[in-house]
Amino acid sequence: MSAVAAKPQAGGAMNPTAMAVGVVMLLIILAICWYISPGAGLMALIGITVGGVLIGFGTHFVPVGGAPAAMGQAPGIATGVAMLAAGAGLAGLFGGAWAAEQGLVVATVTGGVGGGLMMAITCMMVNFVYVFGMGIPSASGKVAKDPITGDTQAEFKSQGTEGHGLPFISFVGGVIGGFLGGAGGTLIYLQLLNLYEATLPALMQVPAAQVMPIAVAAAGMFAVGLFLVNAVLTAYNITGTIEGPHDPKFKRWPRAIVASAVASAMCGLVAILIVVPM
Amino acid sequence: MSIKVEVIEGGIPHNNILMSGLLGTLVCLYLTYLNVLTNTEMFAFFGGLAAIIALVWGSHTIKVLCSYGIGTGVPSAGMIAFGSGVIAMLLATRFGILAPIVALVLAAVIGFILGYISNNILNMKIPAMVQALTEMAIVGALSLMGFAALITGGFTFAGLTEGTITMLGMTVSSNQISFIGGGLIAVAFLLGAIAIQHPFNATLGPGWKQDRMLMLTAECGFLSMIVAAVMSFALISAGSAIISLLVAILGWAYTYNQYICMSKRDAASWLDAKPIPDMEGH
Repeated sequence: MSAVAAKPQAGGAMNPTAMAVGVVMLLIILAICWYISPGAGLMALIGITVGGVLIGFGTHFVPVGGAPAAMGQAPGIATGVAMLAAGAGLAGLFGGAWAAEQGLVVATVTGGVGGGLMMAITCMMVNFVYVFGMGIPSASGKVAKDPITGDTQAEFKSQGTEGHGLPFISFVGGVIGGFLGGAGGTLIYLQLLNLYEATLPALMQVPAAQVMPIAVAAAGMFAVGLFLVNAVLTAYNITGTIEGPHDPKFKRWPRAIVASAVASAMCGLVAILIVVPM
Repeated sequence: MSIKVEVIEGGIPHNNILMSGLLGTLVCLYLTYLNVLTNTEMFAFFGGLAAIIALVWGSHTIKVLCSYGIGTGVPSAGMIAFGSGVIAMLLATRFGILAPIVALVLAAVIGFILGYISNNILNMKIPAMVQALTEMAIVGALSLMGFAALITGGFTFAGLTEGTITMLGMTVSSNQISFIGGGLIAVAFLLGAIAIQHPFNATLGPGWKQDRMLMLTAECGFLSMIVAAVMSFALISAGSAIISLLVAILGWAYTYNQYICMSKRDAASWLDAKPIPDMEGH
């Protein structure tokens, strides 16, 4: 096989043994957390895991086009999964962090809205560039009709391409993905922030007001790290490009759920260990 | 099963780079401990050198991993390296003088599990995946610790979270003026991530040469070190920061020069074009 034809062939197949091992690993990590820090630590870890799963699942909705999209040969936004997911998640994280004092639900939804807004703006400007800059209509190559509007796609699709531009379903998918990613990132940040605010003053023997910058920065850094890990794992799951929720690759999401849950729980456990007295 | 797109021809074998990178990073990190022994901050620049050695090793690991078409782009590898590395590094700083060793072990465990997840649960089935992600997490953790040592002069949790601020002639201890509390860690994170993902992304292709890519990594590393050394003026004494800055600028000038020479060596031909041509008769 030539280098050009060599494509990742991960495929959609599930590996039941590895999935089972993953679930067992998740349970072991939760058990370790329950042993070293029952109560606050365990609740934080569960929140972190849920946040990680939201990021992993949400990334599947985002229309990622990669290099082919930049040349107008495939639908989606012309960059990689990690960049888009990180962009949406960090925009959401910043939005949610402002609302951190308003309670869990308000802050998480604010984070979600921030991420969704960022993706909506990105998708709209990308379509502006595609339509008015490159002169190509939006058409999907994976489905005959747009699942939401019912518009037919084939007559707008150029021959030899897999579609181009951002069809309506991809736009909607991008906004949903941004919402889930932003909400997940904010959830991780809030859980760690609450935990650090409660435990760091005793650990470092300084007043609670003094420790605030450390708690915010450490929680933010852990949230960014967790976000990137989850985004890249999801990128590995969909092997590069995806059109949105109508793409056949979307059906691989159960693998990403297990992978994100294990990875988030493991990294979350490390983040919680930092405030466990030694 | 994925097909390996490019082969490594000639050059130093990856295992040699791995071993020398690991040893060099650890030795340089521990050399910053001379700060504590001699009660100065002059040796902070060794932290920057540790980060650069780790980055050189990491960029070759990216080359090994991304030679298999993983389909997600080279930058994603740099992102997961630092994403998993920062988590291990932050916990490891609590272990005092053992911090670099703990960071190494902890990052190896995290990287190994991430490798297992990618290869088996996500069904990537890439032979180099587990080892590469393990190495990447270690590189991420150690180079961040190197930048931390460069900026603050130490790598312990207390050193990274406590600083002093001088107000009206009084010196007050403050957590805001510190590596973590001041958010400098976020800048160090991206300085490292950019330096590790750029070199292979820029030099890949049929004309890839190992020494040229590694020289580019060193150049990017020194460029990041310049920025980090400028930031270190906030946290360590000016004299020590100037030493770090001089080392970084000299290293950058040398590696940049070398990289340009290697690019000219590997190019089919080159023309020393000027940005604005000298027009005659004007």
